Amino acid sequence: MTTPTPDAAVHVRDLRKSYTVHEKEPGFLGSLRSFVRRQSREVEAVRGVSFDLAPGEVVGFLGPNGAGKTTTLKMLSGLLHPSGGELRVAGFEPRRREADFLRRITLVMGQKQQLIWDLPALDSFLVNQAIYEIPDPQYRATMHEFTEVLGLEGILKKQVRKLSLGERMKCELAAALLHRPRVLFLDEPTIGLDVNMQEAVRAFIRDYNERYGATVILTSHYMADVTALARRILVIDQGQLVFDGDLARLVERGGGGKTVRLQLRRPVTAEALAGYGSDVKVDGLSAELTVPRAEVSPRAARLLADLDVADLTVEDPPIEAVMAELFGRKDREVVRG
Amino acid sequence: MTRYLRLMRLFTGATLSAQLEYRANFLGAILASLGEVGVALLGIGVLFGQPGTETVGGWTFREALLVTGFFMLTEGVISVFIQPNMSKIAEAVRTGSMDFTLLKPLDAQFGVSTRHLNVLRVGDLLIGLGLIAYAASGLTVTGGGLAGAAVLYLSAVVIVYCIWLALSTTAFWFVKTQNASELFNGVFGAARFPVTAFPVPVRALLTFVVPVALITTVPAQALTGTLTPALALASPLVAGAAFVLTRLFWLRAVASYTSASS
Ligand SMILES: Nc1ncnc2c1ncn2[C@@H]1O[C@H](COP(=O)(O)OP(=O)(O)OP(=O)(O)O)[C@@H](O)[C@H]1O
Ligand SMILES: [Mg+2]
Repeated sequence: MTTPTPDAAVHVRDLRKSYTVHEKEPGFLGSLRSFVRRQSREVEAVRGVSFDLAPGEVVGFLGPNGAGKTTTLKMLSGLLHPSGGELRVAGFEPRRREADFLRRITLVMGQKQQLIWDLPALDSFLVNQAIYEIPDPQYRATMHEFTEVLGLEGILKKQVRKLSLGERMKCELAAALLHRPRVLFLDEPTIGLDVNMQEAVRAFIRDYNERYGATVILTSHYMADVTALARRILVIDQGQLVFDGDLARLVERGGGGKTVRLQLRRPVTAEALAGYGSDVKVDGLSAELTVPRAEVSPRAARLLADLDVADLTVEDPPIEAVMAELFGRKDREVVRG
Repeated sequence: MTRYLRLMRLFTGATLSAQLEYRANFLGAILASLGEVGVALLGIGVLFGQPGTETVGGWTFREALLVTGFFMLTEGVISVFIQPNMSKIAEAVRTGSMDFTLLKPLDAQFGVSTRHLNVLRVGDLLIGLGLIAYAASGLTVTGGGLAGAAVLYLSAVVIVYCIWLALSTTAFWFVKTQNASELFNGVFGAARFPVTAFPVPVRALLTFVVPVALITTVPAQALTGTLTPALALASPLVAGAAFVLTRLFWLRAVASYTSASS
């Protein structure tokens, strides 16, 4: 168990959220039936999540679709009222939505946009400046800095509807961070962006975190985002935390296997390799198999001795494979690494 | 307070420039305004059209025209200030863009109520004011009557705003609320005539159940100096109560906001 930090930037204890959903059968008759008798059901989206974040910490918040990540972030930013549990962000209770709280946080959602569609992004920035009461010198300094780090020049005066997805996302980020929040909730900020644009967004987040010591929670389905930015990882599945700890520890405990890659001089069959490890894949002269962590050295020595090997490499499994393995697990105990 | 005024100016600027992007809409809006006036005047014409009809329900032609003027003015207030904002509440709840309003350190009710403006219908406001001025020029109006009418009309606008906000706020639970605003428009249509022109039961309904009488007839009566003290007091009181109640209703709705997924 982590001990609660007294001055934690984010403090979450046994957080819960259930939605009431009205079920509707497809088709007109189904609609009619549910109009007469509404069938409702409780969906437990978040079921007892606990963690603490220190000021300035950057964590990756991972989990499969529907795990409860967005729901958790919406509760942390005060949009949704929790069904149970304890919540404190920057010393405030989010659900009260006090102005001083809202000035200290931001929520960026990769799938939603706040910029005014028919106007240049600059107009939306001015509206936010007035709403957050940002003094002119601070506004100019922040704009100058964001323009440089995000490469905004040339796109600020174009109507938002004429921007590309990536350009729009950069402007969205700038609009959401203009008031220099201390706590950032980033929900899939790189969704749909190409590799270069993803890297630009990552660099911006890293730069902001270092410059202002902001606390960041980041969700993403692109593992590169998380491995590039966060040292600590929270993994949520079916509304419960299943891992909280170091990225390296997550990889280590992810199944106990390493991947051995072989480049051969003579073709072999998959059957011939079955005795050396599991998940054998053979493709012409290349082969790949999984070997238990503790057995890596002796198995590699045997492979080199038995077969005509041109090259042999040993790798940690990709983080995606680790996650897949973790979500497949039946025991749902929180693992703290 | 000055911050809120500054914000309103900024919102107005933004919504104006956004509308200038679509110039073709102007013609349609002008036609719509003219259509509204036409319908309202036709109604009066029918009422006073028969030869020998001097008054209807105790109202002379000029006085009835005054009511039509207030009706047009209210139509203008609704289409310029109220409806553009209220119609976007349901949309914002459905798409989840209400998130951004609720994330801002700004009163959310103020945010959803002042963000948009439909300048295209400013014509309605001018037509309404013109009709009132024309009708009043043929009547004796005192300074007190004018001040009273102004206060009572302000109360009327607050009442109209509250009804719209209450109807639109149901979007937090029902998501689709178009029918609600059509309902309002249907009932509000009755306000183009003096309420005393209606049979007594209908009149009671229009005064106490749906306060349509308070919106157009009462300010007109204040101008002509025929208002009873009871009605003069009722209007601001109803406005105050309506404002408090809708405020509570709004806060309740925001607390149960579920924010569309993703
Ligand atoms: N407004 C809502 N009403 C009802 N159920 C909801 C609502 N929002 C989310 N849910 C349900 O709650 C669960 C968690 O959803 P959530 O959006 O938090 O998942 P997520 O981890 O963000 O997934 P993804 O990676 O797909 O974005 C899902 O089962 C979803 O169907
Ligand atoms: Mg999500």
